[in-house]
Amino acid sequence: MILVAGATVKQRLKPSQSQVQKSFRTLVVAVFLIGTMLPFVYAFIRLKMVTGWTVWQALSGFDTVYGGSEALRFTLLEAFASSMLTVIIGLPIAWFLSRHQWKRIRLLRAFLAVPFVTPAIVAAMGFLSLIRQDGILTKIGIDLRLEEGVIGWFAEVSGWQHPGHFIALITAHAWFNLSLMIRFVEPTLSSLDPAWEEQLSMLPGGKTRISRLKNLWIPVIGPAVLCAASLSFLFSFTSFALVKWLAPTSHTLESLMAEAGSSAGIAGYRIESSELIYSVALLQFLILLLTLWITALLQKRYSERLSLLSEQGVRKHHGPPTRLAKLVILLGILFTLLPFVSVLLSSFQARKITNGSVKYEWTLEGWSNAWSGDLSTMGVGEAMSNSIIYALCTLLVALPLGWVLASTIFKLEQSGWSKSSKLLDLACMLPLAISALMVGLGVLLGGLRWYPEMFNWFLLPVYPHVLLTVPFVVRVMLPAYHSLDPAYAEQCKMLKLSPLRTWHHGTFMFLRGPAVVAGSLTLAFSLGEFGASWLLVRSGTWDTLSIVVDQLMSRPNFDPLIHPTAMAAATMLMLLTFALFLLAERFRAHDQRSGF
Amino acid sequence: MNSKIKAYLFFTLLLTSSVSGCLSEEALESLESENPCTSEIQVRESDGTLKILTYDIAGFSDELIAQFTDETGVQVEFIRTDDAGGILDQMMLTKSAPLADLMIGLDNTYLPTAIQNCLLMEHSVSNESFTATSMEFYDGPLALPFDEGDVCLNYDEDALAAANMSVPTSLWNLTEAEWNGKMTFPSPMTSSPGRAFLAATVDYFGNSPGNESGNMSSWWNAVAQNGAIFTSGWTESYVNYYTGGYGEYMEGHIGGAYLTVSYCHSPGVEAYFSENYTHSTSLVLPRASFHQVEYTGIINGAAEVDAANQFIEFITSIEVNANMPDYNSMYSVRNDTDLPETNGYRYHADQANVSTAITQDLIEQNMDDWLESWQNAVRIN
Repeated sequence: MILVAGATVKQRLKPSQSQVQKSFRTLVVAVFLIGTMLPFVYAFIRLKMVTGWTVWQALSGFDTVYGGSEALRFTLLEAFASSMLTVIIGLPIAWFLSRHQWKRIRLLRAFLAVPFVTPAIVAAMGFLSLIRQDGILTKIGIDLRLEEGVIGWFAEVSGWQHPGHFIALITAHAWFNLSLMIRFVEPTLSSLDPAWEEQLSMLPGGKTRISRLKNLWIPVIGPAVLCAASLSFLFSFTSFALVKWLAPTSHTLESLMAEAGSSAGIAGYRIESSELIYSVALLQFLILLLTLWITALLQKRYSERLSLLSEQGVRKHHGPPTRLAKLVILLGILFTLLPFVSVLLSSFQARKITNGSVKYEWTLEGWSNAWSGDLSTMGVGEAMSNSIIYALCTLLVALPLGWVLASTIFKLEQSGWSKSSKLLDLACMLPLAISALMVGLGVLLGGLRWYPEMFNWFLLPVYPHVLLTVPFVVRVMLPAYHSLDPAYAEQCKMLKLSPLRTWHHGTFMFLRGPAVVAGSLTLAFSLGEFGASWLLVRSGTWDTLSIVVDQLMSRPNFDPLIHPTAMAAATMLMLLTFALFLLAERFRAHDQRSGF
Repeated sequence: MNSKIKAYLFFTLLLTSSVSGCLSEEALESLESENPCTSEIQVRESDGTLKILTYDIAGFSDELIAQFTDETGVQVEFIRTDDAGGILDQMMLTKSAPLADLMIGLDNTYLPTAIQNCLLMEHSVSNESFTATSMEFYDGPLALPFDEGDVCLNYDEDALAAANMSVPTSLWNLTEAEWNGKMTFPSPMTSSPGRAFLAATVDYFGNSPGNESGNMSSWWNAVAQNGAIFTSGWTESYVNYYTGGYGEYMEGHIGGAYLTVSYCHSPGVEAYFSENYTHSTSLVLPRASFHQVEYTGIINGAAEVDAANQFIEFITSIEVNANMPDYNSMYSVRNDTDLPETNGYRYHADQANVSTAITQDLIEQNMDDWLESWQNAVRIN
């Protein structure tokens, strides 16, 4: 009896396995929430103290900050135009890709998806070299940089200043977001029962193309298109590297904050910078939160799938691609590949000025300079090792953190805590609503307030990188949890396997693939991260490959080798990202095309 | 209590305590009442390397730095910012835990702010045999000049001739319709030449002859209304927009601006690097130029103070400093030096008509107001 009582006491003292799990999950969620919120709260408190403004004053004073209204107008315009162009370019590609039986469809998808994981600075360099004076576009009379010829004529007639820069920017955004359209629209179309279309065409409401569009296509793919367009709006709204390099005459809210970021939050110094950051950051946060909310609503509608047939069957029904389909896909792939090819070729070309005219000569000196570096700019090798160290550290923290968060959201859903799960899901997406630059700013201002010595810490950029990549890990892992069959874990339990082996055989084996995808994307996004690192680098010494490209391009480039050197560094970054993307694609399940 | 309510309470408590607990009223008030010279500064931890904070164009070649390392055994590492404004920003931001030992590149429009905020400490290098013009503005122990030059407007002769435009004889000419959208200025908020030209406009419109027809703010407002392009730094203005400079051959050049802010000797620099050819020239109007002096100084909290002094001595030595026109496209601050004659460097470098009206005291007392006036003046949205 005494023994039994002792055992009972022991059982009470020793927490059960589920209690340990609960405590662990609670701890992880708490660490994530505090880690996400703390720098921003500190940063906003610091800005509040420095400016003496309340939150309301900061918002209402937006039109008094230098360049604020103009930047807001431009940001809204370019983000809207970019998302429209993404639809115009992406929809035909998604349409033809989904309605035919393509050979090597995974390869085609990979080609079309690669821009999304391309570092923004590489994309900027790619488009910059495409529109340069001896570039392809200029040769056919479309000069988007100097705005001569057709573009110059258009600028003069319309009175629109720098339409060429605007076109270059929204085209680059559409290029970047192309895969969103494909990943959202293609799954809906490729598994839609062809009988619907056939039956509708016999009914009065489907006799004409317009009526079919109204009664079938808009209801079927409309939510997916809107969903892709709203995400495209979100990413274009917070784009920074592309705006910095392709539209230097205009400011977005993000680039406006970037310029003022290094002098903000300092008591008694450049107060106008703190006012600008405080006001713009708050407004941007509200707009992004609204966009995320609309996107979530659209995603909910999008997830109400109408289709019900196997993709292979539908594709077989539609048959091999037509000539038009082949042409559209070919043009789509050319569109995605051109900037990459352009960056690569530019890394082997150096400018030579003879008698006032410019010629380009083939050379390897850009590569050699990029590797050796100099006292002004770090060599590619060193910058790459920095980038890889940051990316690996980010992976080590972001992957387990995101994984546990995804499993916690899933557990909450399973336990009937749907509101809590939704709340946590939204909290995990918050860093996306804050934008990379604001994350960097939060770390900079918040961190400085709390612990100034951290500016000497080599691994500081890992912090914003983790914040920015956790949402992607959650977005990849959560659908994987949803597709888990609980029967496997139950069978393991029936076989009386240990909890660890049950988890290994019943869960881990099925999540291994998505985890590799999430890990590769984490590495790729960390490698290419620009906004947060750029802001931190302006105040510290954390050079990454992305930053080295930007630094090289920012130098007064009377030295003809600066441009090929920057392009060589961009090419290295591009190749590194490609390798990770290919790794992710190998592990991506055949039907896993949404998410990221 | 329901477990869901418990959980919500827990997270709310966690979040609020995390963000409020560490932020006592006292701590926040201390931020507000921070006296620039009484705040605690942590000396940078020594790692045996001299860390130099500078801007992106301080043109000390790798060979020159190797020579310094050979002579002294001191390793050097550069931390680059975009411009002089970036140097000051970083020094202010990391004031209590500095990242570098030495700054190179704050000019006489930024130096007063750095001194006011106790960002610099005394150096031990002699200032003998320095030019009178370089020592005129500041001759104290906290900073030493390393180069100088006159900031003034530059214009593209060929472009003006092709467009049948006349050379301005007054700054007010730039507010006329023919100059609409054809000029670019680096922002005085972030660029040192931009700030120097702002000081020049204060001088121009504050004294005869400029004050006869309006003030500095109304002129800046008028040029902004006339489509002036404002950029964050000198590089963007001169390389990306100005048609008369070497930027016209560069990738990413946009063009469109026939006039910009640079140095009176910039046409000489153009000629020097282009075999005595340039179509850029400077616009020398009375009081529309500002004599810029660039300084080096030891950052308060530096770890490598001896090495920093050695470096100041090295770059201000006659052997090295005499080559400033070549290294940094600026005049040397040492007596008995001049621009080289090679490729028309000296021939194309114009002499500015500079007054001494804008003093360090005047900048120290008024720069914030001038910047605010400028910002309000160019705001046209």
